[in-house]
Amino acid sequence: MTDRRKLLARLSASQFAAWELRIYLDTHPCDRVAADLLARYTKETAALKAEYERQYGPLTVANPEEADWQRDPWPWDYQGSDD
Amino acid sequence: MFTYEKKLQYPVDIKRPNPLYAQIILSQYGGPDGELGASVRYLSQRYSMPYPELKALLTDIGTEELGHLEMVAAIVHQLTRNLTTDEIEKSGFAPYFTDHTVGVYPASASGVPFNAAALAVKGDVITDLHEDLAAEQKARTTYDNILRLVDDPDVRDPIRFLREREIVHYQRFGEALRLATDRMNSKNYYAVNPAFDQ
Repeated sequence: MTDRRKLLARLSASQFAAWELRIYLDTHPCDRVAADLLARYTKETAALKAEYERQYGPLTVANPEEADWQRDPWPWDYQGSDD
Repeated sequence: MFTYEKKLQYPVDIKRPNPLYAQIILSQYGGPDGELGASVRYLSQRYSMPYPELKALLTDIGTEELGHLEMVAAIVHQLTRNLTTDEIEKSGFAPYFTDHTVGVYPASASGVPFNAAALAVKGDVITDLHEDLAAEQKARTTYDNILRLVDDPDVRDPIRFLREREIVHYQRFGEALRLATDRMNSKNYYAVNPAFDQ
């Protein structure tokens, strides 16, 4: 697995943990342990996202580098089993 | 508003194309219990939801379903790479191919185009939350059926992720139903719709 995909996997894992806590907190708003965990994973996700975008180009249109935004691969593209 | 993030929620990397699998899994794109219906169901129901924590839940789960719609499309797209006409004819993919080539079109596995009749927005909190609980189980059953038919681990892995999300969403909607009934008059909550009756 390439460094890019390793970093993308770490970002996705952290982002998923934050997301799961987010929807859990929708129905458990008073759970302080979960709220603290959400804060931790949100911070970690932001740092990993910034690192990924610095190395491999923008994940959202908020980043002004238009040429990088257009660049392949797009998320649905097959990228090879061991690229 | 919505913004796009240029990544999948969970990775999809399918080495071996398989048009039969594509046709089966397409049902979770535009079939009766697919991700298109799921996202439109929750994102439409939120307008008649009076309770703020449940407006948040419908918005969040509806948004996640859009991410699942993209994952299902990625699976179908990768399963239909580099096909020969011989493979298309032998796999039973020819009817879909005739109408859509290898484009991703919202239809069921049996070829019926997406129909909004497969989802409901009743404008009643209790009714809509029961609809959502049933919808998550119907999607889970469909993913179970897909897992019965598909052997390739590259395909099973993201399908299993999607199946697990149905179970988590079912859990959250069960909690939402309890929170909603707790807010209503316990003596007559079947007679009152807090989205309409004052």
